Amino acid sequence: MTEQSIHLRIRRQDRPDSTPYWQEFVISGRADHNIVSLLMALRENPVTISGQRVDPVVWEHNCMEEVCGACAMLINGVPRPSCSALVAELDQPIRLEPLPKFPVVRDLLVDRTRIDQGLKQVKAWIKIDGVWDTHEGAPRIGPSEWAANYLYSRCMSCGCCMAACPQFGAHSAFLGPAPLAQARLMNAHPTGRYDKTERLHAIMAEGGLSDCGNAQNCVRVCPKEIPLTTAIGELGRQTTVQLLKDIFGPR
Amino acid sequence: MSASIENPHFLLRRLHSLLGLLPVGAFLIFHLWENSQSRFGAEHYNEHVVAALKGMNYLPLMEIFVIALPLLFHAGYGLVITAQMRAELARYSYARNRLYWMQRISGIGILLFLLQHVGMTRIAGTWDPSVGDDLFGHMQAMLSQPWMLGLYLVGLLLSVFHLANGLASMAIVWGVTTSVRAQTLFGWVCVLIGVLLAAMGIHGLMGFLS
Repeated sequence: MTEQSIHLRIRRQDRPDSTPYWQEFVISGRADHNIVSLLMALRENPVTISGQRVDPVVWEHNCMEEVCGACAMLINGVPRPSCSALVAELDQPIRLEPLPKFPVVRDLLVDRTRIDQGLKQVKAWIKIDGVWDTHEGAPRIGPSEWAANYLYSRCMSCGCCMAACPQFGAHSAFLGPAPLAQARLMNAHPTGRYDKTERLHAIMAEGGLSDCGNAQNCVRVCPKEIPLTTAIGELGRQTTVQLLKDIFGPR
Repeated sequence: MSASIENPHFLLRRLHSLLGLLPVGAFLIFHLWENSQSRFGAEHYNEHVVAALKGMNYLPLMEIFVIALPLLFHAGYGLVITAQMRAELARYSYARNRLYWMQRISGIGILLFLLQHVGMTRIAGTWDPSVGDDLFGHMQAMLSQPWMLGLYLVGLLLSVFHLANGLASMAIVWGVTTSVRAQTLFGWVCVLIGVLLAAMGIHGLMGFLS
């Protein structure tokens, strides 16, 4: 395959508290590069456009098939996983920036602890130990319900939806769309539904569901096409019913 | 006790949402319908519309508890919500993102308009009874100034937009519309409601000038 020159602009930051700066690179590479493989190629010879040898760019990557979510960053201004961003389909110079709304650790590496915090807050898990017989399999569910639930199970915690959300960020306690969608998924699980009330109460507190502003950017940028706004509407209905139960009983 | 009641966060947001429609939104619709009767002339408007309302029993109580207090809460809490907005319109130029931004900006605009609007009609009327006795003449004199007419048009359109768009997002918030299709369809229903209310409002404004 013929090589071509690829023009890159990368926003770099040396330390969490230092000032970011831009560096430009032109590297010769194959046309079928994605952003992760391009950064790997750059790492072998990190020389800027002005000939200065610099520290290799720091970023995260893992699966290379858009299922782990580790490599999400801002590519030409859009939050997306970099493994599935093909160089041939991007306008040059390609601008790479760290995923916004999350604290930068170094260069394109961000601290995504808040996603995990959100998942913990909504109890996005299934308790398999309980007072019921855990040896028996979970009740079966119908294919249409399974198909609807499957959409939400594709979430890889990449954080793109949260980066694009105008209500999420350092200024607010909002959980963001991804943890909310997991609450929707776990509430529908045959075993997980036993903790539905607990999850609903968790999202009816500060930073919960009602901090959503319905700008719906999340569903536009989600690389896995998860119906996040439908999850938010469904949780709206579940919390409405829960509110009535909380006020008038029974729980 | 249950968590969602102990913690007022959720209740306050839902109260803000509910009050926006009932009674504030409902009052806006009533107010526009009432003033569209300016079309039938000064005598009809002053005697059958304004005087009939002013003659209602317990009117001040209703003005305070059905209009002023819900409106003040909706506006005040709305400003708290607006402080959380970090809209990046250039980066995410989607229609819903623009509407999200417009909902908050229009809220601030409506608040400024209402200070002027309520001040020069209802509040002015408490000092100067002639304002209420010939409200048609008072409005006609005000709206004859082009800039004032422009201000009223902007205030009207912002209010109607805020109600119609608020209705669309309210349906999502309360869980009435969940699927993309339902949200889109109801969005268009709200556009229709907004256009009809705007037409009724403009009809009423023009009635004062005829």
